[in-house]
Formats: sequence, structure tokens, C-alpha cells
Amino acid sequence: MSKPLLCVFFLLISLAAFSQKKFTVSGTIRDESTGEQLIGASVIIKELPKNGAATNSYGFYSITAPKGEYTLVVTYIGYEGLVKQVSLDQNQTINIGLSSKNGLKEVIISANKPNNDNVASPQMGEEKLNMSQINNIPVVLGEKDILKTISLLPGVKSAGEGNTGFYVRGGASDQNLILLDEATVYNASHLFGFFSTFNSDAVKDVTLFKGGMPAEYGGRLSSVLDIKMNEGNNKDYTVQGGLGLISSRLKVEGPIVKDKGSFMISARRTYIDVFFKASKDSVLRSSSIYFYDLNAKANYHFDDNNALYISGYFGKDILLLKNTFGTNWGNSTGTVRFNHIFNNRLFSNTSLVFSNYNYAIEDFQSADYFKATSQITDVNFKEDLQYSMGNNHTLKFGINILHHTIAPGNITTNSTSSFNNLSIEQRYGFENAAYVSDDWRATDKLTFLYGLRLSGMFLLGPGTFSTYDAAGNTVTSTTYAHGAAVKDYFNLEPRFSASYQLNDQNSIKASYNRNTQNIHLLSNSTSSTPTDLYVMSSNNIKPEISDQVSTGYFKNFNENIFEFSAELYYKWQQNQIDYKNGAQLLINQNVESQLVYGSGRAYGLELFLKKKYGRFNGWIGYTLSKTENKFAAINNGNYFPARQDRTHDLSVVGIYQLNKRWTFSGTFVYATGNAVTYPTGKYQIGGLTTFSYSERNGYRMPASDRFDIGATLEGKEHKKYHSSWTFGIYNIFGHWDPYIITFRKSKTVPNTTEAVETSIFPRPIPSVTWNFKF
Amino acid sequence: MNKGILYITLILIGFAATSCTKVIDLKLNNDTGILVIEGNITNIPGMQHVKLSQNVPFTGTNTYPPVTGANVIVSDNSGNNYQFKEGPAGTYSINAAAGIAGRTYTMKVITNGKTYTATSVIPAPVTLDSISSKPGDFNKSKNLRNIVVHYQDPAGTANQYRFVLYVNSVQVNDVFAYNDEFIDGRYVNLELLENNINIHPGDTAKVEFQCIDKPVYTYWYTLMEQQQNAPGGGGVTPSNPPTNISPATLGYFSAHTTRRETIIVK
Repeated sequence: MSKPLLCVFFLLISLAAFSQKKFTVSGTIRDESTGEQLIGASVIIKELPKNGAATNSYGFYSITAPKGEYTLVVTYIGYEGLVKQVSLDQNQTINIGLSSKNGLKEVIISANKPNNDNVASPQMGEEKLNMSQINNIPVVLGEKDILKTISLLPGVKSAGEGNTGFYVRGGASDQNLILLDEATVYNASHLFGFFSTFNSDAVKDVTLFKGGMPAEYGGRLSSVLDIKMNEGNNKDYTVQGGLGLISSRLKVEGPIVKDKGSFMISARRTYIDVFFKASKDSVLRSSSIYFYDLNAKANYHFDDNNALYISGYFGKDILLLKNTFGTNWGNSTGTVRFNHIFNNRLFSNTSLVFSNYNYAIEDFQSADYFKATSQITDVNFKEDLQYSMGNNHTLKFGINILHHTIAPGNITTNSTSSFNNLSIEQRYGFENAAYVSDDWRATDKLTFLYGLRLSGMFLLGPGTFSTYDAAGNTVTSTTYAHGAAVKDYFNLEPRFSASYQLNDQNSIKASYNRNTQNIHLLSNSTSSTPTDLYVMSSNNIKPEISDQVSTGYFKNFNENIFEFSAELYYKWQQNQIDYKNGAQLLINQNVESQLVYGSGRAYGLELFLKKKYGRFNGWIGYTLSKTENKFAAINNGNYFPARQDRTHDLSVVGIYQLNKRWTFSGTFVYATGNAVTYPTGKYQIGGLTTFSYSERNGYRMPASDRFDIGATLEGKEHKKYHSSWTFGIYNIFGHWDPYIITFRKSKTVPNTTEAVETSIFPRPIPSVTWNFKF
Repeated sequence: MNKGILYITLILIGFAATSCTKVIDLKLNNDTGILVIEGNITNIPGMQHVKLSQNVPFTGTNTYPPVTGANVIVSDNSGNNYQFKEGPAGTYSINAAAGIAGRTYTMKVITNGKTYTATSVIPAPVTLDSISSKPGDFNKSKNLRNIVVHYQDPAGTANQYRFVLYVNSVQVNDVFAYNDEFIDGRYVNLELLENNINIHPGDTAKVEFQCIDKPVYTYWYTLMEQQQNAPGGGGVTPSNPPTNISPATLGYFSAHTTRRETIIVK
């Protein structure tokens, strides 16, 4: 940061500190019945509307105001609002419990109006998902899914049918930072992308940033998906679960020490192999394919100011062909966090985070026996501080020290095998960062959220590091000792967003942010295979850089029941990665010789209309966008559409609560087809008819559209237990959505060729799940 | 190794049990009339051919117009020059000579006022031990066979191989190109996995075994990756494979050793 900028920054801080006699009220906001902390609940002082705060990830809020008598108004979506009189004549702690609205009560608009946070907050490009909405949205095979629901939001596009990969504002799917309790989840999909790794039973809060990323997040270009697990009920023991056609799940939670500590364990197992039992193939019939995952969390509050959280995730996918072949892959994460409240204004969180993704492929046949493994392991130390300065400034600052170990590939074989033992050198590196940001309510109407993140990438020895010429031949090779610095990169990432409120219900916002990325997914397959390979920025690979500007108009109407927003964005991306023809990415010591580098640009318009409350709620999201890449070696160096370039993308979600027991829902999606490369001719080579190609991604897959419906039937009320049924029909009109288009020798007309379209779910897929809770 | 990925792809296809396919009409642009050069120099006398043709629209029949009247010369780095003669139309060949392992061959094609050149080296030959058949891993009820090739890979050198498989004299519509990155110095039993011709006991299987140089391997490997049943499931963005011919056009020039083995499938 330049010196003058630094001066202005500190001037702002010192101005903020200078003030008349003020006092601070702070505390934690929780769900009254379960003790779960509520994230992002709004707390305002009615008499001083610009003195507002939202609770942080741990339910903590802090508001400072001059001495006086005030009315504190606390609101949170899905909960009864609360009004509390406060005499502010000294610093004080006020912990608040909100009670959740349930059943039909939700229909009645409560006495206090829904808040207008989305209009007032300077944050742009932020989407918060409500778990109860996720639970009502129908999905394929009945397994509710966070990632699928996210792809129904504007600016977010699903990577395709049966695929949980998603693209945010034109970014590739490895440009999303997916965090589960602060731990990076490298592969967010189960079963080739048909399911996501997130068990919605175990999830409390989902926030997606597709632009204007706050400075505390970094490391990926396009988005941050921040998922927080449930803490567990600290009042009572409960057991809940579901039995579905292809999966079952169970969750147990309860107090460790009542009101002080609680735990939550949630598990899931699929039995999708039933599909195989119907197969005519005896080998497929005897093979298995399934996944399981486990989420666990415990917390203990030593006192009002100190709390410890431990959480973990473990998931595994297994695919086994009897006596022939097996593969498994999975993520595991672990997070230990310690919250300390120094005083009413200063909140600290210290985290130690572990994350691992690994896969193994094994061929059991003696003639070609091998076992190949690969993994990436992260250990991350984070210190995050939040300081409410009063005078309408909330500062956040912290550091992050992240160590990566990447084992790109290891092959073990036996003496009868056709294969050699092989071990690709491990790679080590640190991704470190420091950040500071300030949320500043400058006037009643004008608010800023601005900050700066300094990121540093340090690639370390031991190992041999090569450089390559354009043809991929090794030019130099240097061997480094343990811990020796191979290459480092520093990047300054400014983040800025501002909101100007025209009046209570209308605002305009603008933002600029730069993001950098030092860990890159190499995969030249468009399908979701488990063999994901990650590499760090290196002597060959430069950090990917993205600059994004966006502006938007936000409006609420009908007493904040309706939200409308229109956002425009433009993104420039540097140092993007693509692959040479015939690139060999898997288990290759010289994998970096297989890469080419280019740039990209993306721009678009997102429209969003949401009805948040009422018997009937839901949203319409529409995106008009363009995403293009440019590589010297591809398409004569001209811009070409990225695969994920989707001109139109429309999602409609509707949820209707008929009565106390029945809730109906429907979703409709329409999207322009992916940009793909089709042949522009054919010729004969090597005795085979082969296709010739001209333009990269010059064609479009057919557009896809789909209508899904769902219904939830709540069981009759019992004192001891509660049950419900969830029904769903995916693709109710049986619309033929294209999955892949291939070209082959014609099966009907001899001596010609034909194009063949494959659809995964070309007919309605019904599902039913029975849920229980006691 | 690629077999692993291939299996994942096959099981995935099996998993998507509800999936369906249909033939569709696509509006495709035509970028046709491009020269296709396919040049092969082998260590067997009488098997030196350079074929010239043009590509045609996707929607047409699979008949490719020959390019006639070209001047085709192949020379080696020992000072030999061979003038190829045309016959039949578009096929240029020379009868007497054979390539010699270790030599570098340069092809020169002059057609339509343009000169195309390419070079390729015949690698040291590797002996194909034998070929055999074994029951396939899928579709047991159909009693299908896979063809397995057996050979000793020489240790310490980089080797690249291409296999061409014929079943009852019909060429299998798949490219098989492998290098020795994972098998250097091993005795190799390699299954030629394919699913476009069903092989049953009693069929005649013929394998042509080629030792090719690196650029030619990259050419065939790229084609192989783009096959529907290849590792990656055909999900790789397709493109014309990188040719060793300059200026670039469709096709390749390969100097290689070749050897053929035939068995009756058991």
C-alpha cells in the first residue's frame, strides 16, 4: 500500500477513536430453544438508526452509542423479533435469545417489520441461504443439497446435470473457496458430482460471496462459500434422521453441560448400488458404489468471554468392482477454535484448521496390479480480530498461515505387474496472508466496507524444480534443500465496496476487489472424476489474478417483504491455465510442462426478485452474461467462449405453505447450453474416420430446462416426536436435457457419421424420504 | 494407469442407468477441402506409403477425395532420396526400399504449389512377444474377450507404442497409443480395451505393433484422449492433434518399426 493511502487509513481510525463519552453494549444472540448462536442477526438502536450491527459468525454483536435511554431492536429471519429497553450509562453485556417461528406463525408478519439489511449494507454480491428454504427445494433422488440450491441463485451456474461443480460469475469451478467451519473442502462432490459433500442436517449457515469479498477471505478468484456447521442443542437431547430411497441419515445432538456446552454428530450413508442390482451385467451387479460422511462438532463455553469449538468432517466415496478394480476418495477436515472476548468491543477468534483430500485407485488383477494414491494436506493457523470502535467503525484484522503438502502421485505395484513403482516428489509451500478491513457507517445514507489483504505465496524445497520450453522439454533443473525458498509471490488485494441509501428502501452500491489464487486444479476432463490434482504457484505457474468491478441497485418494497436487486459486473482475469493437446496430467513429474497460460474476461447482469416472507415465498433469478478466454496457442490467439459461458440463466423457485401440514415447492431452471467444440469436417487417418475442428468452443449444447416439484407433509403433532414426509419429482416433464454430445459412425446409414446426444435423467425421477425427530 | 480412469468412466456410464441417447441433427459449419497427409515409413519392404486426401463435410459420406499429381520425396539422413510414385490415385509409394531403425526420415510433399515437410525417426525396434485373449471384465454373460499384448519394455530408454487391432480383418475403431512412463523396463501385459467390436472365441485377431517416436506418439495419444471411451470419457475439449508436418495441415508423418501377430481367439 502506498504511504499516502496508509496515512488516510490511520487518520480514519484515529478520527473514529476520538469521540464523546460513549458506552458499549455487546453480547451473544442465540436460538432460545436450542442455544444455537445466530449468525448475521441484526441489532439496531431504534433512536439512532445508523448505529446498527450484525452478529458475527459466533453470534457476537457490539454497539457503541452516547449515554442515553435506547430501544434495542433485534431481528433475524425466521425468528420472532425482540425489542429491549437499555439504559446506556455503562458498558454492558446483554445476551439475547430469539424464538423461532414455526408452522403457520411464519405466515403472520410479526409486529416488527422485516429489516432492510440488503439495502443498507455496503456488502455486494452476497447471498445468504436459509436452511429451511434449502430443505423445501426439490432435488434429484430426494437428497436435499446446498450446492444445488446455490446454483439457483443469479450469477451462479451449475456445472451441468448431475454435477455439483458450480461456476460463479464466469469463474472456473476451482476458483470457488469452499469452507466448512473454516476448513477448505477441496472436492465438494460425492459420486462424480451427483451429491455434494454437505449434509444439510449438519449445516447451520450458508453464505456465498460472488463479488466484493471481504478482506478476511482470500485464496480463490471467483467466490467464497462459507458453510458453518450446527453447534448442537445445549438444552436438550434430540435425535433426528431420514430414510430415503437411496440414502439415510441420522443426527444426534445435545448438551454436554447444560447451557455451557453441546455436541452434534450427523452421519449419512447412500446405497445407490441398488441401481446396479437392476443391471443385466453380472459384474456390475456384484460391484458396489456408495459414500458415507460424518460431521461432528462440540463446543464448551467456559464463561461469557471464552469458548472452545471443535469440529470435524470425514467423508469417503467407494467404488468397487469385485476382484478387478477399486477406487476411493474423500475429504477430511478438522477445526479447533477458541473465542475470546477481550472486552465489549474486541472479539478474537483463534483457529487451527486441518484439511485433507486424497484418492486411491487400485487394480487387483495380477497382470497389471497397481495402487495409485494422491493427496493434498493443509494445516492452517488463523487469528481473526474484530474491534467495534464506536463512531460507526467496525474493524476486522488478522493473519493466516497456511501450509500445503501436496503428494501428486504414488504408484505401488508387485513383481507380476506391468507397472513400476513410482513416486512423484511432494511439494511444500506456505500461503500466508494479513488483512485489515473497516465497516464504516459514514452517514445515515453512506456506508463503506473497505480493506486490504496482503497475500504471500512461498514455494519451498526439498525437490527438483524444472523450467520448460514451449514444446514442454526441460530447459533447467535445480535441486533445492529442505525448506529452501524456491519461489515466492506477494500480492496486494484491495477490497472496496460502498452503499448509498437513497431512502429506506432504495440504495445503490459499487465495489471493486482484487483476488489472487495460488492453488490450481489441473483437470482436462470436463466430467467430475475423483482424480483431481492440485498444484501451487511455482517457478512456472504464476498466481492467478482477478479484478472485479460491480455496481448495483437494491430495492425493497411492501414493507421489506420483497427484495429486488440488479447487479452489473465486469471481471478481468490474468494467468489463467489451460492444457496442451494430449496433456498427460496424471502422475507426471513434469506436469507443469503440459500447461499454457492466458487471460480471461467476464461480464454480466444479474436480476433478482425475492419474496422473503409469507405463505408463498421464493425468488426469480436471471443472469445475462459472457465469459471468454484468450490463449496464444488456442483459436489463433483470439478470445473464445469459455465452456461455462452461459448467455441466459433463469431460475424460479416457489414455496407455498398450504396449511400447517402441507408445503409445496417447485423450481424451474433454464440455461443456455455450454460452449463446446464440434467438428467442422471429417477425414480418414490411421484407417479411422476422424473429425477435424476449427474454432474452439464455437458451438452451443442445446439449452436445458427443467421443472422439479416437491412436497412436504408434516406429521401430526406429538409430544414426544415429530415426523414428516418429503416427496419430490425431478424433471417432471421428462425434458431431455443434454449431458454430452458425441460423434460416431452411423448405426443406420452405412458409410456416414452421426451426432448422438446423451441425457442422464430424460424422464421424471420420483423420490420419497421419511424424516423423524425426537 | 489409464485403465483405472477408463474403468471409472465405464462404471459411471453403468451408474447412469437411466441415461438415454438419441441421434440428433446439428447445424455444423463446414471447413473442408483441407489437405490431409498420412505418411508412413516402416522397416518392412513394400510398406512405405504417403496418402494425400481432403477432409469433407461431417454430413457427407465417408469418402475422401484423393489429392493427385503431387510430388512426394522421402530422404534419410544417410543421403538416400526416394521419389514416390502415385498409384492408386492419392496414394504415393515406393516398393523396393525399407526404413532402417535409428535413421531420420524427411518427407517432402509438393502439391498445389505448396511444399509440406516433416521429419520422423525410426526408433530401435522392440519385440512383440505374443498376443493372447482373456475374458472381459464386463458383460460376462456375452462371453466377450479382450486382446492382450505381451512384450518386454527396454529399460532406461523412452519408448512409445501404437497398436492397431483387427478383428476378422475389420479394424477396431479405436486408437491405442502408449508410452513407457509407468512401465519402463517391465514385462508388459497390456489389454487393448475397446468396445466397438465384440470379440468372441473363434474370431481371428490381428495386432499391428508399432514403435513410434515422441511427436507421433503425441499425435496418436491426443486422438486417443478424444475418443468417447477414452480416459476422461471424451470430456476433453477436442482439437486437431498436433501434427509434425509444417506448414501445419491435417495428418502426420510417422517413421516406425512394425510387426504383426495373429491369433485365433480362445
